[in-house]
Amino acid sequence: MTETIPAPPRDLPAAVDFQEASDGIECYRLSTNGLRVLLLPQDGAPVATSMVTYHVGSRNERTGHTGATHMLEHLMFKGTERYHKRKGTSIFETLQSVGAKVNASTWLDRTNYYEMLPTEHLPLALDIEADRMRGALIDAEDVEDERTVILNERDRNQNDPVSRLLDEVWGAAFVAYPYHHPTIGWKSDIERITPDGLREYYDTFYWPDNATLSIVGQFDRGETLAEVAQHFGDIGSAPHEIPQVTTEEPEQSGPRRVTVRQDGQLGAVLMGFKSPPALEADSDVLDVLARILASGKSSRLFRRCTDRGLTSDVFGINFRLRDPGLFSVFAYLAPDQDHQTVEDAIHETIQDVQENGITQEELDRARSQLRAQIAFDRDGPMRVASQLNEALAAGDWKLYTQYLDRLDEVTAEDVQRVARTYLTRDRVTIGRYVPTS
Amino acid sequence: MSDSSSPSNASPSLAPRIQDRTVGPGRLLTLRTSVDDVVSFRGSFVTHPDFAAGDALRQQLTVSLLDKGTEHRDRFELARVLEACGATLDLSSDGLFVEMSGRALVDDLPRVMAVAAEMLRAPAFDPEEFRKARAQVAADLQRRMEKTSAQASTALSQRLFPEGHPNYSPAPETVLEWLQGLTVQDVRDYHEAHFGSNEWTLAAVGDLRHDAVASVVSETFTGWAPHDAPAVHDPNAASAEVGRTTVPMPDKSNVDVRLGHAVPIRRDHDDYPAFYVGNYILGGNFAARLMSTVRDEMGLTYSIRSSLSGVSTRHVGSWQTSVTLSHDAVDEGIAATTDVIREFVAEGATAEELDAKKTTITGSYSVGLATTERLAQSILTNAERGFDVSYLDGFPEEIRALTLDEVNAAIRDYLDPEAIQEALAGTRPSPVEATAGA
Repeated sequence: MTETIPAPPRDLPAAVDFQEASDGIECYRLSTNGLRVLLLPQDGAPVATSMVTYHVGSRNERTGHTGATHMLEHLMFKGTERYHKRKGTSIFETLQSVGAKVNASTWLDRTNYYEMLPTEHLPLALDIEADRMRGALIDAEDVEDERTVILNERDRNQNDPVSRLLDEVWGAAFVAYPYHHPTIGWKSDIERITPDGLREYYDTFYWPDNATLSIVGQFDRGETLAEVAQHFGDIGSAPHEIPQVTTEEPEQSGPRRVTVRQDGQLGAVLMGFKSPPALEADSDVLDVLARILASGKSSRLFRRCTDRGLTSDVFGINFRLRDPGLFSVFAYLAPDQDHQTVEDAIHETIQDVQENGITQEELDRARSQLRAQIAFDRDGPMRVASQLNEALAAGDWKLYTQYLDRLDEVTAEDVQRVARTYLTRDRVTIGRYVPTS
Repeated sequence: MSDSSSPSNASPSLAPRIQDRTVGPGRLLTLRTSVDDVVSFRGSFVTHPDFAAGDALRQQLTVSLLDKGTEHRDRFELARVLEACGATLDLSSDGLFVEMSGRALVDDLPRVMAVAAEMLRAPAFDPEEFRKARAQVAADLQRRMEKTSAQASTALSQRLFPEGHPNYSPAPETVLEWLQGLTVQDVRDYHEAHFGSNEWTLAAVGDLRHDAVASVVSETFTGWAPHDAPAVHDPNAASAEVGRTTVPMPDKSNVDVRLGHAVPIRRDHDDYPAFYVGNYILGGNFAARLMSTVRDEMGLTYSIRSSLSGVSTRHVGSWQTSVTLSHDAVDEGIAATTDVIREFVAEGATAEELDAKKTTITGSYSVGLATTERLAQSILTNAERGFDVSYLDGFPEEIRALTLDEVNAAIRDYLDPEAIQEALAGTRPSPVEATAGA
């Protein structure tokens, strides 16, 4: 499945160096500033997705500045000298007027800005992304306007008890590592962060050598690389080392519990088990285990909990992050069921895997589901870009292209072993949402 | 895969590449694209529910039981077929229609279609599964009751439409009460009376061979008979006095607000495209007036947009603005939103705005058709509306041909600030009584 192109494509622009290729994705780097460029030319509709992933997320924030990554993401749309509302060239208006689907997102390990648009307008997207890479204004008045917008966004999240539950569980599970705080930030930090603080954050992390540009869709490789070199090539590289997160989360040595009480109807349980970094092979095994536990009606937790009327829905999610994260089991309680019964059922189900392992049929089914999912995820440029984005955030874009090979390595014994290693009662943080109505 | 027609990417035209034929009791539309291995499909048939008699709930419950076992296989056997190949199959209730949709690797399409047909045509309706499905629907309703957005939308729908209209949503508390009174026999009766091949249409898009899909569909759906239920839904809006409904919900940081009124035209009315574009200029995207003013300039909200909602060729729908506001910004936010709407109706759109939104709409239309899923959905929706396949290519032309006079006339004719109804859900700093009329 994976291969390396032995010879680089010919006639590359002078500033573009070919690095490697894997499963159709070509990796280049701009020699002038270190910007990494990933290209995946596809047949299909004449549209393309351009995405800049900055290798900065809420994990990079310090106390008092939580939410800075997300707030900066909002400010990046407020404009530059060339693209600004007062000139009639706001970034949203300029891009949406050519039919682009445009947005951005912030997460624990990365921030990404993307445009999906008719291929003929790809140079416009590149021009805007290059311009705001170092040219964002971060105007004080804009910061104040956006502060209330973000506080409203936070309030929306707080309306949802499940969102609160997630924040509480992650907050309790991580006492030292910055996955502790929510990506949107603590309310007091959102209220107090200054334009200068945001500018400093921008000047620390927003540089071409701390970013990856991905282009997926129907486009001409040579023309596109020339456009990339033209728009991004003159931006200087970071004048300093990009700061790295050095904090390590201390070993958890016992279960932790949190409770969210809020008006509502049905309770919920979230169990988060400390899990390995995304690039470790055990993370692939945990993906398979998540499927076996909670994907579809054949899954163990569906049969044990939902089919028996204990839960109305149950999910297994392996959060693959750059640093150790949480393997999570989430359950909505069925009406008239209590939290303890559901927790016990989940523990029993996990214990069965730990003691008796899984069947080959379960492993094959999980792998088939993941393989089909990968094929589905190649349906359209935006889907591919989203997957690449998460692989980049995890630390290696080839996690996306090599995933099928990695899955082939997973055995039934591996699944039993990781269940024993990671899904232990000493590594778990359990959150309960208790409706108060 | 080989085929008589190879996928073409040079031209965005869809209609010449879509094969449209009658297969078994229905219509099959297939489109081959350059994606590898994947086929997305979407199909629907008309059920003619009696909304005023609570059929929306009967239909929802019936649909939720389709994958819980058939006359030939139990629920786990059905699930195993799909899960062993990673395919997805969703059955859903959507007003006048029941829809099925999903994705599969192309080689697995025959077994997925066989499962789909079996679920639709020969469900078992086991009493024990009925009991579980009813509990599941109750849980879904209770979760919905927690959401300010759902409560606000429900409240607005009740101000705009009569109970027999497909866009009317009963209060979740009422639905929960109805739910407890339903029996498995009600579900069997509903399936018997409302499930059949009436207007059965299936769109399939992806790495497919047209003839191969046709023979699979023929094999699985031939012999499916139509039902006799007549169309009884109320196609028109209610004529309620202008006013506000407030749904008090404790413990919420954010208030969801819906402003809107019914629109007297249907999707196939000549003025629809002009009004669609007019609304888009007002609140269709981030660069539209509402977002640009209320969020971008005033910082009052995270999200505000306006849309034409539930407008069909079979019934009228509504124009709505949705805005989320923090406690302390509710009054200011509603006032600012209303000001933008009033100014827009009074002064109309500008030529620059129209030009910009024409390219936005036509560009995003082509961008939106970049996946097999979206293509299948668009082809099916077009067919449900009774439009010719050529309209899939004709829509952008229709938008480009609109004049500023046509758009502004449509705004004046169909957007009335004096007729706006309001619905709010959430926690207010000081309680506001729910009002029926004013």
